[in-house]
Amino acid sequence: MSSLDRLAARAVRPTGVLLAVAAPVWLWLVAQAPLDSVQGVVQKIVYVHPPCAFAAYLGFACTAVGGALYLWRRDDAWDRFAASSAEVGVLFCALVIATGPLWARGTWGRWWSWDLRLTLTLLLFLVYLSYLLLRSFTEGSERTARFAAVYGIAGLAIVPLNYLAIELAGGRSIHPENLQRGSLAAGMRAPFWFGVLTALIAFAHLLARRLEVSWLAERASREAAAGEEALPWGT
Amino acid sequence: MRVLLAVLAKDLRVEWRSRDRLSAMGVFAVLVVVIFQFAAPPGSAPETRGHLPGLLWVAWVFSAVLGLNRSFALELENDAWAGLALAPAERGWIYLGKALASLALLGAVQLVSALAFALAFDVPLSAVALPLAAVAALGAVGVTAIGTLFAAVAARTQYREVMLPLLLLPLLVPVLLGAVRATAALLAGEPLPWPPVRLLLVTDAVFLILSFVCFEYVLDE
Repeated sequence: MSSLDRLAARAVRPTGVLLAVAAPVWLWLVAQAPLDSVQGVVQKIVYVHPPCAFAAYLGFACTAVGGALYLWRRDDAWDRFAASSAEVGVLFCALVIATGPLWARGTWGRWWSWDLRLTLTLLLFLVYLSYLLLRSFTEGSERTARFAAVYGIAGLAIVPLNYLAIELAGGRSIHPENLQRGSLAAGMRAPFWFGVLTALIAFAHLLARRLEVSWLAERASREAAAGEEALPWGT
Repeated sequence: MRVLLAVLAKDLRVEWRSRDRLSAMGVFAVLVVVIFQFAAPPGSAPETRGHLPGLLWVAWVFSAVLGLNRSFALELENDAWAGLALAPAERGWIYLGKALASLALLGAVQLVSALAFALAFDVPLSAVALPLAAVAALGAVGVTAIGTLFAAVAARTQYREVMLPLLLLPLLVPVLLGAVRATAALLAGEPLPWPPVRLLLVTDAVFLILSFVCFEYVLDE
């Protein structure tokens, strides 16, 4: 058991407790937050949608970093870290892509727009879906780890290129730059940042759980392989 | 460097003797152009004109995927793969040799299908032949640079032929976008615009460096 696995196993319970405390507080804060005078109740997605995006981007960054560390150190734990973050990242990214159109329909009047940030997120989502497919279609854990690491790194490396590309296509329009402008009203700022915190706690908890499961799966397969040679119950 | 030339010469020689990749890619690219003729409103309609640069690049990218799939499937026969992996050389140079061979094939296919395209849609290409060739080459470098890396990956997975487009297409967005923009400007009779060309140059450089470095982890015995 490597130190990363030990850290994950130890983090499962504290992050779970934190999440159990943070989630109801966050719900209460969202309910308390003032209604947007123009957009109405649909604006409350702001407490779900960007926080999930933070967690999704963090997941994809962890995948690329985990892959690079695996190629450098050749420690299976880093590969499990990369794979687990990709799964959790894809989950959060799916939430982002599911909640975005609901909000867009309510405020822009249409479900989707090929705007800079939407397109970038969609492309990242597709890249990491392909990453998961690559993992499931490759045989041999060492080869899977190597291939996936290379693809995960390439997936992050194209982000600035996509950025340039979509800017070139003139897709820089609709999506708000709220954070830079600080355009959230006073009563909305605290629930928003608490939402980000909650999403990050949820990310950490899911990642720790996923890591624990993948470590257990690996141990089970190792023991099964050893068990075929010498059955523990004798005869 | 000698390894690069050896791999390049070997791939081109194999291709010259069989010519199966070249013919498959060429026929496929022409087929896409022909099929589009039936899928879209008649060729001279203005709305079809707007889609032509995109169509041309879709045909090229798909036939590149077809060819790249074969590029490493070839090495699996008779276990030639092991020979490549065991070669006492920097693996990056092996990668460049394979990529250059695929680039040469794609270039030939681009030439032929561009002619078919010009005939089918009545597009006067001769006036912009030189800048268009430059854009086609820049795009082809990007596609084969990253395509060769992941063709080597896809060849060692289950469902090889399916895996390569799944891996490649999401990564090709910057190449496709820059190339289509530049081609569209040229076909509209405008001078070659700099921003898409710059995007292509940057993307090519990033893909080449990334693949050169990462190829070592992809080629195993």
